[in-house]
Amino acid sequence: MSLRPYLTAFGLQWKIGLRYRIAVVAGLVAQMWFGAVTLMAYASVYHAAPDVQAPLSLRQAMTYTWIQQSLFTLLPLGCLPAIGDAARTGAIVYDLLRPVDMWNWWLSASLARLLGNAVPRAVLLACVAGPLAMLVGLGAWSLAGPASLISAALALLSITLGALLSATIVMWWNILTARTLSPLGSYAVGTPLAVLLSGMLLPLPLYPDWIRPFLLAQPFAGITDIPIRIYLGTPIPGGVATGLGLQIFWLTALTLLGRLWMRQTVNRLEVQGA
Amino acid sequence: MPDMTQSPSRTLSGPGLYRRMAGASIVAQLRYPGTFVIQAIGNFVTTLLSFFGIWSLFHRFGSIAGWDIGTVAVLYGLVNVAFAVAETLGRGFEVFGGEYVRTGSFDRLLLRPRSTLLLLLGHELRLRPIGRFLQGLFVLVAGLWLAPHVQWSAALVLPWAIAGGAAMFLGVLIGQAALCFITVEGLEVVNVLTYGGVEAGQYPLTMFGRWLRRFITFVLPLAAVCYYPTLFSLAHPDPLGMPTWIGALSPAAGFAFLGIMILVWNRAVAGYVSSGS
Repeated sequence: MSLRPYLTAFGLQWKIGLRYRIAVVAGLVAQMWFGAVTLMAYASVYHAAPDVQAPLSLRQAMTYTWIQQSLFTLLPLGCLPAIGDAARTGAIVYDLLRPVDMWNWWLSASLARLLGNAVPRAVLLACVAGPLAMLVGLGAWSLAGPASLISAALALLSITLGALLSATIVMWWNILTARTLSPLGSYAVGTPLAVLLSGMLLPLPLYPDWIRPFLLAQPFAGITDIPIRIYLGTPIPGGVATGLGLQIFWLTALTLLGRLWMRQTVNRLEVQGA
Repeated sequence: MPDMTQSPSRTLSGPGLYRRMAGASIVAQLRYPGTFVIQAIGNFVTTLLSFFGIWSLFHRFGSIAGWDIGTVAVLYGLVNVAFAVAETLGRGFEVFGGEYVRTGSFDRLLLRPRSTLLLLLGHELRLRPIGRFLQGLFVLVAGLWLAPHVQWSAALVLPWAIAGGAAMFLGVLIGQAALCFITVEGLEVVNVLTYGGVEAGQYPLTMFGRWLRRFITFVLPLAAVCYYPTLFSLAHPDPLGMPTWIGALSPAAGFAFLGIMILVWNRAVAGYVSSGS
C-alpha cells in the first residue's frame, strides 16, 4: 500500500490553511484580545483571594490560557469544510470511488487542515506572548517556559498525540456530516463540546474538584489539556504516564469505533444531487 | 400562503415593509424545524456552559475578585440578552461583506426606494439567538434572586439597559458592515467588539487594567450599558468612585453610539463604488 495519496491529501489541506495570511493576523488579534480579557479576569480573581490554594498558580493559569488560545484552531470544532461541501452537493461519491482507504484519506486531510491552521497561529502567538511580551516589560503576563527540558520533550510528544486525537474526533464529525448530509449539525454539537471539554473556556484543573476526574478522563482533555499539564509540570493523578496512556487509549478506541461507524454509514449512504 | 402578494397600487410604509420581510424570514427558518431546534439548543447550551465556567471560578475562589455571584450573574445576563437582540436584528449587516458587497448585489438594494438600513435589517430576522436570549434571561433572573439589595427601579433600568446594549451591538454590526465598503470581505477582527465585547461585558469593570477599562467605557460604551446600570439596579457602590445614579442615564450612550455608526454608514454608502458583476 502506497502512502502517496494520503500525503497528497495532507499537502493540499496544509496549503489551504497557509493560504489565508490575513486571516492568521486577524485571528491573532482576536486571540490576543480574548487572552488579555481572560488573563486580567484571572489575575484579579487570584489577587482577591490570596489564601485559596488553587491547583494552578496564577502564572500557570496564564500560561495555560496563552497555549490554549494559540491552539484554538487545533480543536475539533466541526467537520472538514471540504467534506461538508461534498455532502451537500453529492460530490461525496467521488471519495467513495477512490481506490484508497477512506478513513486514512479523510484523516490525513483533516489532520493537515488542523495543523495548517494551528501551526502558524501557534508560532506567531507564542512569539508575541512569550519573548515579545518579556521585551516590552509585560513579563508577569507572558507565556512561561516549560517546567523542565524533559517535560518540554514529553509535552511535544503529547501534543502530537493530541493533534492526532483531534483529527480523529473531526473524523467523527465527518461521518456525522456524511450521515445527515449537512455540516451544520457537526458544528452545533462539536463547537460547544470542544470549547468546554478541552479547557478552552476555563482550565480543566480549575473546575470544582468533584468533576475533575471526569474531565481528565474524557477524550477532549487529550487534545490540549494533557499536553499543557505536562508542559507546566502540574501533577496528573498517576503521573505523565496516565496522561499519555489516556491519549493513546482514546486514539485507539475512537479509531476502531469510528471505522466501524464509517463502514456502516458508507453502506447505507444515500447521496443527493446529480 | 395568505397575504404574500400585494396589489401594486398600495405602497407599504417602512414598518409595514419590515414586518413583511421579517415574517417571510421567520417562515423560511421554520421550514426546517429540526435544524432550528438543534441550533437553538446548541446556542442555549454553549452560552449556559460559559456561565458554568464563571461559576466554577466563583466556587473555587469564593468570589469573583470580591464581587458576589449575584452581581456577576446580572452583568452576564444583561450583556448576553442585549447581544442576542442585536444578533437577531442585525444578521444582514453581519453577512454584508460576503453577500452584498463582494457579489455586487448591494447595487440592487440601492435601486429600491427605501433606506438601505431598513432593507438590510429585513435581510433576516434571525431566530437562532433565542437560545442565548433565554439563557441570558435565566441567568439574569437568577442573579436578581441571589443579589442583595435589588432595587425596585431595576424593573425599569434593566430593560432600558438591554435596549441600550442592543443598540450598541447593532451599532457595532453596522460599523462592521460599513467597513466592508473598504475591505470587501468581512473582517473577523470586528468579532473582538461583538463576541469579545460580550466576553468583557460579563465581568465587572474593576477587574480590568486601565487601558481596557478606558476602551470599553469611552470607545465602545460597554460599561455604560452593562456595568453602571447593574450597579444602579443592585444599589452597589462603584469601587472606581462614579456616583451610582449615573447607571440610570448611561444606557443612552448605547443609542448615541448607534447614531454615530448610522452617520458613518450614510457617509460610507455615499462613497460606494460597486465591485461590478
